[in-house]
Amino acid sequence: MRKTSPVERVRLLGRSGLDVLESLGRSALFLVHALFGRSGAGSFTQLLVKQLYAVGVLSLAIIIVSGIFIGMVLALQGYNILVDFASEEAVGQMVALTLLRELGPVVTALLFAGRAGSALTAEIGNMKSTEQLSSLEMIGVDPLKYIIAPRLWAGFISMPLLSAIFTVVGIWGGAWVAVDWLGVYDGSYWGNMQRSVEFRGDVLNGVIKSLVFALVVTWIAVFQGYDCEPTSEGISRATTRTVVYASLAVLGLDFILTALMFGDF
Amino acid sequence: MTSDNAFAVELKGVTFRRGTRTIFDKVDLAIPRGKVTGIMGPSGCGKTTLLRLIGAQLRPASGAVIVNGQNLPDLSRSELFDMRKQMGVLFQSGALFTDLNVFENVAFPLRVHTSLPEEMIRDIVLMKLQAVGLRGAVELMPDELSGGMKRRVALARAIALDPQILMYDEPFVGQDPIAMGVLVRLIRLLNEALGLTSIVVSHDLAETASIADYLYVVGDAQVLGQGTPAELLESDNPRIRQFMKGIADGPVPFHFPAPDYRRDLLGDA
Repeated sequence: MRKTSPVERVRLLGRSGLDVLESLGRSALFLVHALFGRSGAGSFTQLLVKQLYAVGVLSLAIIIVSGIFIGMVLALQGYNILVDFASEEAVGQMVALTLLRELGPVVTALLFAGRAGSALTAEIGNMKSTEQLSSLEMIGVDPLKYIIAPRLWAGFISMPLLSAIFTVVGIWGGAWVAVDWLGVYDGSYWGNMQRSVEFRGDVLNGVIKSLVFALVVTWIAVFQGYDCEPTSEGISRATTRTVVYASLAVLGLDFILTALMFGDF
Repeated sequence: MTSDNAFAVELKGVTFRRGTRTIFDKVDLAIPRGKVTGIMGPSGCGKTTLLRLIGAQLRPASGAVIVNGQNLPDLSRSELFDMRKQMGVLFQSGALFTDLNVFENVAFPLRVHTSLPEEMIRDIVLMKLQAVGLRGAVELMPDELSGGMKRRVALARAIALDPQILMYDEPFVGQDPIAMGVLVRLIRLLNEALGLTSIVVSHDLAETASIADYLYVVGDAQVLGQGTPAELLESDNPRIRQFMKGIADGPVPFHFPAPDYRRDLLGDA
């Protein structure tokens, strides 16, 4: 094996830095072309509906099941802590605020990246490796408009809705554990929630987070597919990258958004 | 006919690089209109890259790629997409859309580029499939087709919009003798029946020479030779002779450049 000199290492470091910048630039141009380029071929609505089904409807099962369980766990843990202070009546408010502000958007985005994001990357990567994207180009159809744009919009539209569904079933799951199982008075569960949750501060901020995550996760997923090396190994690497990058981006952005929305500076 | 009109595609001084590797170095090439032109050369010499340059999927570092009088590097993204409607490409893998059946694959270019009524689209699709002998396979999905059938459906799709230029990327690779014979006949037949300009990129010597009116041999980032198949077979150029006669070693070396064999095995000792 050849040894790399220190100078060579610095050069490689610089090279990889430039590669990252180049890739960021490419992905930004890619997004702009996909969202704002000239209109695509065929009926966009039809393509969008198909993708909304693939990306959104087919993710419903995992979102609903996870939402119920997370709501249940939150209620159980919350109850165990609050009961020591005789404040178990506040469990409804705790479940709702946690889900609306944090867990709803964040867990939905993470699940979405694993379920739909990886599928988008693999599908587009496979289209690239089987020359279907080239073939579209040569037929005179821009793949950015025909393949990428409907998927981007489908992710952008469906993830906030999935996040809302996640939050609603989570609150129901919490109610089931707290009220029906642990015996918290249901008037307190729902009443405290109603009194403490603000539309602008909690619901709207949750929706904004969800929209940001939707854009970032779907963007990463479709770009990784479009930009992958068209081999089976390249596709598998791109799929892994989608899940890793999207998860890290969601968690990092969540901190920044939370600091902006709820931090007192 | 003016000299510009005699050629459907012209490459003038085209240089193309991939990283630090030069694939084409100031290549000049002209594809006569209405003929079948073969572009031949050993694997990895950039034949497919050449097709992608003509289809403007790649941009040359310098030089002009002129298709029907328009210099492709000068065109905007949307002008390029419009220009590509005049071209059809048969990709090596067929590149059928795997989520659409045979009918919808062939109907695809018609649906996106025309507003023809459904009955007319149906008639055109059936006519194109009849031309490639697969009208009976109209309901099948791409994964139900053999390799040769996939390529024929892709061919039907490539001619759906009646393009002026049809490019074939390695059409004979991996075909059994019957499928090969069918394709060879189809390429010639379609060229004559539709008045196309056909560009066949291939390293299958016998098949390409049997249908091409004119041949280019490329290699070492250059056009090594050109002429009718008969002229090239008689060529004195050792590189062309090596390729045309299939000789393993010669000006195109058998060995990929490597350090000294003895030193590689025994080390410096």
